[in-house]
Amino acid sequence: MSNLIDLEEPKDTGHDMRAEIRRTSERVRARRVATSRIMVVLCSVALLVAAVPLVLLMYQLFKQGLGQINWKFFTTLPTTPTLIDPTGTGGISNDIIGTIALTVYASIVAIPLGVLVGVYLAETDSKLATTLRVVSQTMAGAPSILMGLFAFSLIVHDLNVGFSSIAGAFALAVLMLPVIIISTEIAVRNVPLTLREAGLALGAKSHKVSLGIVLPSALTGIVTGVILAISRAVGETAPVLLVIGGGYTNSWKPFDPVSSMPLAIFENAKSEWPSQRAQVWGIALVLVIFVFILSLTARIWASRKQQVRN
Amino acid sequence: MSETPVVGLLEYDEMVEEPGSSTISRRTWYHYVLIVAALLFAAISLGFVGTIFWSSWPEWIHHGTTLLTGKGWTSPDGPFGGLPMILGTLETSLIALVIAVIIGLGTSISIVFFIPRQFRTIVATLVELLAAIPSVVYGLWGLLVIAPWMQTTVNPWLNSWPFAKAIFGNSGQEFGTSLLLASIVLGIMILPTFVAISREVIAVVPQDLMEASLSLGATRWQMIREVVLPTAKIGLFGATFLALARATGETVAVALVAGSVANVQFHLLYPGTSIAAWIATEFGEAQGNEISALMALGVLLMLLNVCLALISRSLVTRQRRALARV
Amino acid sequence: MTEIKTEVQSSSPAERGPIAMQLHDVAVSFHGRVAVRDCTFDVAKNRVTSLIGPSGSGKTTLLRALNRLHDLTPGAKVSGKITLEGTDIYRGNLTVTELRTRVGMVFQRPNPFPTMSIYDNVVSGLRFNGVKKKSLLDESAEASLRSAALWDSVSSRLKVAASNLSGGEQQRLCIARALALDPEVLLMDEPTSALDPIATLHIEELMKDLKSRVTVIIVTHNMQQAARISDDCAFLLMGEDRAGELIEFDTTEKIFNNPDDSRTLDYTLGRFG
Repeated sequence: MSNLIDLEEPKDTGHDMRAEIRRTSERVRARRVATSRIMVVLCSVALLVAAVPLVLLMYQLFKQGLGQINWKFFTTLPTTPTLIDPTGTGGISNDIIGTIALTVYASIVAIPLGVLVGVYLAETDSKLATTLRVVSQTMAGAPSILMGLFAFSLIVHDLNVGFSSIAGAFALAVLMLPVIIISTEIAVRNVPLTLREAGLALGAKSHKVSLGIVLPSALTGIVTGVILAISRAVGETAPVLLVIGGGYTNSWKPFDPVSSMPLAIFENAKSEWPSQRAQVWGIALVLVIFVFILSLTARIWASRKQQVRN
Repeated sequence: MSETPVVGLLEYDEMVEEPGSSTISRRTWYHYVLIVAALLFAAISLGFVGTIFWSSWPEWIHHGTTLLTGKGWTSPDGPFGGLPMILGTLETSLIALVIAVIIGLGTSISIVFFIPRQFRTIVATLVELLAAIPSVVYGLWGLLVIAPWMQTTVNPWLNSWPFAKAIFGNSGQEFGTSLLLASIVLGIMILPTFVAISREVIAVVPQDLMEASLSLGATRWQMIREVVLPTAKIGLFGATFLALARATGETVAVALVAGSVANVQFHLLYPGTSIAAWIATEFGEAQGNEISALMALGVLLMLLNVCLALISRSLVTRQRRALARV
Repeated sequence: MTEIKTEVQSSSPAERGPIAMQLHDVAVSFHGRVAVRDCTFDVAKNRVTSLIGPSGSGKTTLLRALNRLHDLTPGAKVSGKITLEGTDIYRGNLTVTELRTRVGMVFQRPNPFPTMSIYDNVVSGLRFNGVKKKSLLDESAEASLRSAALWDSVSSRLKVAASNLSGGEQQRLCIARALALDPEVLLMDEPTSALDPIATLHIEELMKDLKSRVTVIIVTHNMQQAARISDDCAFLLMGEDRAGELIEFDTTEKIFNNPDDSRTLDYTLGRFG
C-alpha cells in the first residue's frame, strides 16, 4: 500500500512554480473580479432590455386601447368609415361572436380527442404510441399557417364547404390537439403508480381504474393544458386567415363565413382610415386581456396542483 | 415485457390473460375508444402532411426549379419564384435569432443566478406572458408604433453613417416597414421561447460543479463561463434551434411589418417578406396555379420546420441524458 | 484485504503547534433559523482535523462556512469569527476568491467538470486564477497528480474526458485539482462516502501523506475513519431546538478514549446516531 503514495519531495523548481502561480494570481485578481462584475451588470441589462418590449407594448395597448372600449364597441356590427363619417367604425360584435364560435367548435373536437389520445400515449408502449408522441411534439411546433393551408385544402376546397367558421374551427382544432395531447400524457404519467396498483389490486378493470382513479387525479394537469391550448387558439390569426372568409354579420352558424378578433386586427391595422387603425388597439387590448386571464389561470391552476402534491 | 418496469393500464389486461383461459381478448370498450382516437389523430396528422403535399404537387412537377430559385412572383399567372421568400425567411430569422440569443442568454443567466429568489417567479411569469401575447398584436405594435419610429429616427440615423448605409441600404420607405424591422419584432417574439428553455437547461447544471469551481477561486462569471455554459451547451443549442424554428414559422407579424415585397433583398432597410408571411399576404387573392404555388411554399416551410424541430429535440434530449450521467 | 489499523496520534492540545484556522463562537443560520452554533476551536497546522457527529448536527454546514460557500445561499448568515492565519475571512481584507484559493475543497460526490479532460480539470483552478503559461500548467498538473497518487495511472491519457475515470480516481482527480492551487487548508466533505472500500482506503492513505504540506479538515460520518486518519476531532450534536452545536473538541485520542462529555462517549461507542 505504501508504494501507492508517491509524494514528491518539493523539487528545486517547486518553490519557483508556486511563487510564480501566486504572483500571476495576485496580478490578475482585481481584473478578474472587475470582469465578473461587468458581466453581472451586462446580464442584468439584458434582462431589462428583455422587459422593455413588454412594458412598451402594454403601455401602448392601454393608452390607445382603453379609449376605444365602450358598450357599443362590444354590441354593434362594424361599419366602414366614409368621407362623410370618417370616424364611423362601429363595433366588433361579429368578431367577438366569431372568435367564440371558432374556439367553441374547435374545443368540442379537440378536447375529447386530445385527452383520449393523451391517455392512450400514457398508457401504452406500442409502436403507434411512440410514433404519435413524436408526431404530436413536432406538430406542436409547426407554423400555424400550415393548419390554415390544411383546412383550406381539405374543408374549403376538397369538401367544398367554402369559407366558414367550421373550416376555421378545424384549423384551430388541429392546432390545439398536440398541446392537449402532450399535457394530458404528462399529467397521466405523473399520477403515482401506487394509485393505479391500489385500484388494480382491488380487482378493478383497467378502464375503471383509468376513468375512476387515474383521470380524476390527472385532472388539474389536463385542465391546465386545455386552457393553454384555448388561449393559444383564441389569439391565432394565421390558421383562420385563409379559411373563415371574414363575415360581417353576427353568426353562430358553422357554415357561415365569420370574422374573429385577431383577423380584424390583421385586416384593419393597415387600414387607410385613422379611425379604424385606432380601433384596432381596442380589439388588441380586449384580446390580450382575455389571453392573459387564460394563461394566468392555467399557471395558477398548475401551481396549486404542485402545492397539493407537496 | 420484463424490461418494462412500468406497465401501462392497457397492457395490464393483456398481461393477466393466462394461457388456457379464453383466447378472446380481454380488451374492453375503453381500449377500443382510445385506439380509435389514436388512429383518428394519426389520420389527421397524415392528412395534414398529405393534403398540403398533394395540393402543391402540380406546381412541383411543372415549375419545381422556379419555386426554389426564381426571383419574381407574378400574380395570378406566374412564374412563381420562391427565392425572395426563402432568403427573406433566412435573413429575418437569423438576425432575430442573434438578437434573441444575446439578450436571452443574459436574461436566463440573470434569472437563474442574480435575481433574488422571491422575484424569480414574477420574472418567469412575465416571460410567459410575453410568450402568450398573440403574434398579431406584436405585428400591430411593430406596424403602428415601431415602424414610424424606425422611419423618423432609426433609419435616418443608420443612413447618416456611410458604412451602415452601404450595408442596410437607403431607407426610402414610406411606412418604415422593412426586413430589419421584421427581424427585430421576430427577435422580441422568439425571446420568451429561448429564455424558457435556456433557463431550464442552465438551472439543472449540478450545484456541486458550480461550488467546485468557486472553491477553486473562480469568480461568478468564470463559474458561469467555464463551467455552467459548457455543461449546458448542447441544451442551449437545442433552445437556439427551437427559437429558430419559431422564427421561421412566424406569419402575421412578419406579414404586417416586413413590407410584403417579393424581391431578393440583402439591404435590410428595404421591405421584403418571408415564406409564411407571403402565404398569408397572397392567399386571399390567389387563384388556381398560385394556390398550388403557395401550397408548395407551405411544403418548404414544413420541411424547414420539421428539420429544425427534430434537431432541437434531439439536442435537448442529449443534454438531459448527459446530465443524468453526471 | 489489508487490515486497517486504528492508529491514534498522541499529543495534547498544547503541543499541537501553530494554528492554521481559528473559529470563535461561529454560528450559521438560514433565514434566521440556526443550523449550527457555538463552534470555537483552533485548527492546527499540518494536522488532520475531523468533524464528526450524527446527521443534522451541522458538520457540513460548518465546513462550508470555512471557505464562504454560504455566500451564494440566499438567507444564509455566518456569525462569529473565523480567521485564516490571523486574518478574519469574512471581515478582513481577504477577497473571497483569494480565500478560496488558499482554502480548497473536496466534495462528497466526485465532481470533476464533465466537459473538461483530466488535464483541464487539474489545471482549471490555475486557469481560473489567470495562469496561462503552458510550462507552468504542465509542471503543476504533474506535481498535483503525483501528490494525489494519480499520475502513474493517467499520465498517458491526460486529454481523455474526466468522466472516463472510476469513482475513486475521479475523487483523487478532485483532490489533485484542489492541490494544484497549493492551498494552505483543504476542506473535505465526506470525501469517501460515495466510494467503495478500496478507493476509500486509497484516499485515507493519501490524506495522511498530504498533511505534510496542507492542513486537512474533514467531515465524516464514519467514526472509524475519523479515528484512523484524524489528529484532532470536533464532535457536534443536534441540540433540543434542532440546531447543531459543538459538544467537544480535542485530540482524536482523547475524544475516542476518554472524552469529557458523556454524549461524546455515547456517540463514539455507537449508542446513538
